[in-house]
Amino acid sequence: MKEKNISEEPIRHHSYDGIQEFDKNLPRWWLMTLYGTVVFAVAYWIYYQQTGIGLTQGEELELALATIEDAKAEALASADEVTDESLWAMSLNTVIVEAGKQVYTTTCAACHGPNLEGGIGVSLADAEWVHGGNPLDIRKTVYDGSLAKGMPAWGPVLGDERVDEVVAYVLSHHSAVN
Amino acid sequence: MTIKKRTIEYNDQIVRQFMLASIVWGIVGMLVGVLVAAQLNFKFLNFNTEYLSFGRLRPLHTNAVIFAFVGNMMFAGVYHSTQRLVKARLASDFLSKFHFWAWQLIIASAAITLPLGLTRGKEYAELIWPINIAVALVWVIFAINFFWTLGIRRERSLYVAIWFYIATIITVAMLYIVNHLSIPTSLTHSYPIFGGVQDALVQWWYGHNAVAFFLTTPILGIMYYYLPKAANRPVYSYRLSVVHFWSLVFIYIWAGPHHLLNTALPGWLQSLGMIFSLMLWAPSWGGMLNGLLTLRGAWDKLRKDPVLKFFAAGVTFYGMATFEGPLLSIRSVSALAHYTDWIIGHVHAGTLGWNGFMAAGMFYFLAPKLWKTKLYSTPLANLHFWLGLVGILLYVAAMWISGITQGLMLNGADSKGILNYPNFLETLQSIRPLMGFRVIGGGLYLIGFLLMAYNICMTIKSGKPVNGSFEVEEEEPTAERLTLIKTLVSPAFLYSAGLTVFSCMWLMGAGAFSIAGLVLVFMTALLAYAHYQKSGANFGKWYDKLLENSFPFTVLTLLAVLVGGVVQIVPLVTVDRDSIVEDRMQVPYTPLELAGRDLYVSEGCYNCHSQMIRPFVSEVKRYGDYSRLGESVYDHPYQWGSRRIGPDLARVGGKYNDSWHYDHMLKPEQISPGSNMPSYPWLFKKDIDYSALPSKISVQQTLGVPFENWTDQEVIESAQSQAQEIADRLSEQGKEIERDREIIALIAYLQQLGKSEDLRVDMAKAKTTNNL
Repeated sequence: MKEKNISEEPIRHHSYDGIQEFDKNLPRWWLMTLYGTVVFAVAYWIYYQQTGIGLTQGEELELALATIEDAKAEALASADEVTDESLWAMSLNTVIVEAGKQVYTTTCAACHGPNLEGGIGVSLADAEWVHGGNPLDIRKTVYDGSLAKGMPAWGPVLGDERVDEVVAYVLSHHSAVN
Repeated sequence: MTIKKRTIEYNDQIVRQFMLASIVWGIVGMLVGVLVAAQLNFKFLNFNTEYLSFGRLRPLHTNAVIFAFVGNMMFAGVYHSTQRLVKARLASDFLSKFHFWAWQLIIASAAITLPLGLTRGKEYAELIWPINIAVALVWVIFAINFFWTLGIRRERSLYVAIWFYIATIITVAMLYIVNHLSIPTSLTHSYPIFGGVQDALVQWWYGHNAVAFFLTTPILGIMYYYLPKAANRPVYSYRLSVVHFWSLVFIYIWAGPHHLLNTALPGWLQSLGMIFSLMLWAPSWGGMLNGLLTLRGAWDKLRKDPVLKFFAAGVTFYGMATFEGPLLSIRSVSALAHYTDWIIGHVHAGTLGWNGFMAAGMFYFLAPKLWKTKLYSTPLANLHFWLGLVGILLYVAAMWISGITQGLMLNGADSKGILNYPNFLETLQSIRPLMGFRVIGGGLYLIGFLLMAYNICMTIKSGKPVNGSFEVEEEEPTAERLTLIKTLVSPAFLYSAGLTVFSCMWLMGAGAFSIAGLVLVFMTALLAYAHYQKSGANFGKWYDKLLENSFPFTVLTLLAVLVGGVVQIVPLVTVDRDSIVEDRMQVPYTPLELAGRDLYVSEGCYNCHSQMIRPFVSEVKRYGDYSRLGESVYDHPYQWGSRRIGPDLARVGGKYNDSWHYDHMLKPEQISPGSNMPSYPWLFKKDIDYSALPSKISVQQTLGVPFENWTDQEVIESAQSQAQEIADRLSEQGKEIERDREIIALIAYLQQLGKSEDLRVDMAKAKTTNNL
């Protein structure tokens, strides 16, 4: 396509401090972009606001959470139940304990000390357990926290697997006799 | 009639002053920017002192670059170009001088108060109330000086640059005043009159449009004058100027809520924010096209002329940023990008690329003219250009990668809702190298800017200040007067107003009202179409006439920028507060918690921490249930935040014990290894200002927060006894600290974050009672 000579384009005769303006039509693609966004805007508004066909953000979240619950239930049905024994067994598995150590270092060590010796939180190395020393008790404490004492609920943040791993890591410092 | 000729001298002294002030403050603002960026990687740069901590310096950076650097640059450009475009000397030398010195005084007082922790706690609106009043007054002075100059103009017709200046002046006044409405509790402290969601909406109506009408429209005006001047080419398209000006000023105002997507802001406002942002794309690009295409036939000049280089790159960055803006306003994109560095990158593409480069181009253009000499060194200016360009690209690319990385990490969860990265710090560690690249990019940009300062200094040395002048022929003005009434009954206005009102009826109404609106929209559109098919040329003539009448033009601009704000804000601030709380209601603060909250605001915690959990699986798992409107209803100012350099705090209350917070505020990196949060040792030394509490509480009561009617004594006693409780608890946990230290109040505040009344229980109860 040959460019039209610029000097032939329509120009407004008025000049402002020497500045002149061409009187060119709006570029078609530009105009189409403008119209396109307006049409989209109206359609979006009708879909989400006026007819309510589109879900609100609260409804979207509920849907996502429901899907997650389903997936969890499914996983739970096929998974072995977590018991004191299964957690003790995990505490002897070096791979799991190593994974638990990782979680412990990033999540727990700040309060319970790098070697479980305690600090802001209680010691996890001694035989004293505020909320019960059975593996399942410890798991529950990690999972739900103890808000009164400032122990956050780590279950939702870490998820079942990481909680089990970190419990296994803690248990690996104890023996079943305790 | 005899034609008298006389020579009139422009007031260029004021232009020189504003220009130099802009360069000086630009260096200061950018230096603070590089410092705060470096603080995020190197904690020691907070120097463990309150006056230099990130939370206090970041507002200093933003305020300095917006109001001091761009503000002064804009005043220089507006004053210089307006005098020439309207063929008149600035109306008042006194007002010009007053404007200049008062503005510098405001900047200096901002630079003192912000590091002192005196702040209103709202982004880009941090300055305390006495300074707010000064800013409003100076703006009025500016407006008087400007419109007075228009009043004595010899060029009747207003050039497009002037349209943009008019829009700037009236809109900034409106935004600034509404968002700064507050009630003082002391000489240096006040509470904004809006709270919670209302404050959030007003804040972003202001914040977004500060970008629009402080950083964009005046610079577009400047582009329309200096770019064709420097290129010596006619502007690409006058029609495009008309269409993009009016669509820009009308649409921009509506887009503010895109800063609050996926928050507790009501859905209809979020939708408006998103769709108007998308519609803003073309009007913004209209400005870019008119800038870039004006260079047609002058591209070869870019090689030689640094001024045009800066302009061409600046306009290109404008186009890039105004494409990115609508993109980021899409709800699902915002879900990823909000609270991350992507937004920081977006803003800097606009400020460094568009504002900074347009400023540089203008300064290089002006300096030789204002001092009647040649630019000291063109190679140095070219070096500035390339350093700046590489700096911006490095900065923006680093922030893109950082934002997308952190967004994906934080939002990532598997099908069972288990977070991929449960530890927030892990996401921070992953973006640290990118934060480093930002420092390098910003540093390069600053070096380039310093080169410019040197170059301009040397240029000034080689010349001496000279004021421009022009010869006029005194004639009787021949303009045709267009009264306001006549303007408002013109077809162009009536069709536009009709379409706006009927569209609102159609889209916001219900039932028959909505259908009537739809019918009316179509009828108006058809009528307008038919009208302009028949007599399209008349519109051009009418518009030419409008351009000769600045008063009706200004009124039309005001109407265009009013609509969006009125439709969005008025319904939200006039509704009964209880009807928009969703199902939770905040528990009002105790006096001590309020004192702690004011410390939170004063330390600028909101610069790194949000208090708004979005309704996503990942956020609900990480931070707890999503935030409801009612949970911040008593918050003056709201503290939803806009960036998460640290985790959200909306439900941090009760998550850890007091001792954790004590240690964390003193040495964050010990509790959270790798954290870049500054230490706050001064909170452990300074005393709580109990005596300020009664006046604060009485102001909050005026604002509708349901505090009990305590006496002053009761307020202070309540605060002291709660402080004692916390000090005792800390002592049990092995931390000995005196009751009256500020840290105690801050812990009290942090520990109640997220406490609310569950109204669902009450509503259920109410229902059962009704049934009985």
